[in-house]
Amino acid sequence: MLSSLPEHFRNHGLKADVRTLLLLRKAMQRGLVRTLGDVHNVLKGIIVKEPSDMGPFVKAYYAYFLHVPIRPGQTLEDAILRSETFQKWKTEFIEEADRDIGDEELVYTFLDEVHLTSYDIKEVISGKEIWDKDDPDQEDEEHSNPSEPQERTLDKMADYSDLSLEELLDRMEKVQKQQKTRHGGGSHWIGTGGISPYGHGGAAKNGIRVGGQGGGKMARKVLGDKNYFPIDRDALLNDNNVDAALASVKGVIEESAIEKLDVRQTIKSGLKRGGLFIPELKSEKNEELKVIVLIDNGGYSMAPYVRSVQNLFRKMKTRFAHDLEVYYFHNTIYDRVFTDERRTKSITIKKLLQHSKTYRVFFIGDAAMAPYELNTSSIQSLKSIAAKFKKSVWLNPEPLRYWPHTYTLQIIKELIPMFPLTPAGIERAVQSMNSKSSEN
Amino acid sequence: MAETTHWTGSNKYLCDPGLAQSFHMARTLGMPLLIEGEPGTGKTDLPIHYAKDRGLDLEVYPVGSKSNVEQFVARFDHVKYLRDSQIEILNAQREEKGLTTRLSTGERNPESLADYVVKGPAAIAYSKPNSVLLIDEIDKAPREFPNDLLYALSHRKFIMPESGEVIEISEEEMPAIVITSNREQELPTAFKGRCIYHYIDFPDKEVMGKIIEKHHPSIDEQVVKVALDVFYHLRRLGLERAPTTREILNWLKYMSETSPKEAVNKIKGLEGIGALIKTQTDMERVNRMLGASDSTFGARLN
Repeated sequence: MLSSLPEHFRNHGLKADVRTLLLLRKAMQRGLVRTLGDVHNVLKGIIVKEPSDMGPFVKAYYAYFLHVPIRPGQTLEDAILRSETFQKWKTEFIEEADRDIGDEELVYTFLDEVHLTSYDIKEVISGKEIWDKDDPDQEDEEHSNPSEPQERTLDKMADYSDLSLEELLDRMEKVQKQQKTRHGGGSHWIGTGGISPYGHGGAAKNGIRVGGQGGGKMARKVLGDKNYFPIDRDALLNDNNVDAALASVKGVIEESAIEKLDVRQTIKSGLKRGGLFIPELKSEKNEELKVIVLIDNGGYSMAPYVRSVQNLFRKMKTRFAHDLEVYYFHNTIYDRVFTDERRTKSITIKKLLQHSKTYRVFFIGDAAMAPYELNTSSIQSLKSIAAKFKKSVWLNPEPLRYWPHTYTLQIIKELIPMFPLTPAGIERAVQSMNSKSSEN
Repeated sequence: MAETTHWTGSNKYLCDPGLAQSFHMARTLGMPLLIEGEPGTGKTDLPIHYAKDRGLDLEVYPVGSKSNVEQFVARFDHVKYLRDSQIEILNAQREEKGLTTRLSTGERNPESLADYVVKGPAAIAYSKPNSVLLIDEIDKAPREFPNDLLYALSHRKFIMPESGEVIEISEEEMPAIVITSNREQELPTAFKGRCIYHYIDFPDKEVMGKIIEKHHPSIDEQVVKVALDVFYHLRRLGLERAPTTREILNWLKYMSETSPKEAVNKIKGLEGIGALIKTQTDMERVNRMLGASDSTFGARLN
């Protein structure tokens, strides 16, 4: 049933809710949905909100509408070949086609049928007139004789545009029930079951190639293209997802850009005019992003991440933060932080605290050390930094599940808000920063 | 619902079928179309060519870091209003003293509030039936802008500040709204939810050949072929800033001034490659790679 559609798509990590259904209904009422390919396109426009959604969307769509489950690492061709839906369709198709066809071509034909949109049909039959006049039932009677396949062009055309959402739900439910009770029942969404846009054999035998306009090609491309199968946003920061992280960090740019009434100037010139105040304006534009990064570069635990982190903040510096200072420490901070990676030159915490309180501070470290290392003086230093710079966060490369097992981490977490060093974690860190004001 | 016939591109603009369909869908549903994609894939060109081809009015709102909804819809120019009313007083005083010099308020009259309403592209587009409204590079906007915009767009009615003038448009005559983004900043989920989304893929060789043909119809086939080889080779190098459609078009424009044979040689010699490579690091990288291929494969690329 379609009412389970939002939930199904949500399970694939996509955003779908009751509005998705409402929009789908609106699209149906406006005549946008006439074929299964149209359903795909409309849902794609509504649900997919970034390129990395495409992979999950194709998966969810094939599973939901075609009962073709795609397992991780499986190609679309493979998944289709193994599916019952395809087997059922194939039997019917070969029967009608009456010749041997290779698997590859079969899959392509299948994809073409599945992704056939009303735009494709319009292109083939060129002319809205035929489309509008087309009456599926009548055509069926006239041309249902299989011995004259060349005349069957629109016989199995199903037009969803007249269906209400309820009716569509109804049909879906029937199909699904059948699927459950009678395995191998196939999907009525395709094939000769009545809903399919074209009976197979029809148009294709006529020599008109109604290749889906990229729909099928797109789907094939998507599954296996790393641009579409997203980098795991919860994976730890590495060179590949550094750009995703950067996008999150971008949230820290604060801009104030307004034309302001220049009070001083207005008064000055107003007095000159003998009390006639004609307003003077000045425009102000501040791009404010001042960042201090404190990196724990001591110990083996941090070694794998230091490079990615530096990479991230270097990119950040060149792109938008010119006030970016990087300091290093080992395990925790006592009375000083180091200005070079080898920790030979240092400045005192006192000096660090002299920075303007508008600076944002990123601590990056695993916060793991021997309990005695985190002594009173160190806790005091951390506290004073967090107190001075309200926008401080700690990014931890340790996987979240290990956090509860580290004693020192638990203490530091209490002092400074801590987030995982993943693109998603950085995003949340930035959000939490932005919710705090650097004033008071 | 805007003008709802299916538009598939013009003789100057090659519209990807998927994009054409999304655009049609957005207009039919009366929703904005949000287009994302690499720079130089023709995001901004879509509404421009659509409006031109169909003879519709186009309103453009280039988004910048200062953008706010008031600029986009309409704002009341309080400052000008204050200035003009002060000038009225000043003029009256001068007249009393018998001075003839007057400060002008332009054509504006402080009595009529509508004179001080500065209409933005949205208000203008909504006051014309079936216009096209382009909101360009929304990712450059301050973070709250998209959500404010959403509120403005979800109503087909604007009330002008102070003057109270109402601009309203029927659903049938609503403008076709196209929003573009370069993905430099994540847009709020709620905002994306109200748009029809389309991501423009980078065109493959075949499509790119067609695009080039639309822009440079007279160019030699061989030249295009060689240029495309070099172009896609460069794109595969993983440069910091990969060359885009715009750049290859410029490069070929430069080449089209010479004879085809010469142009092929020039392209093979990577002449004018500065049109394709945009950063110093990329340039160094390309040079280094060329050096490497020189020593191993001889002058393959030269």
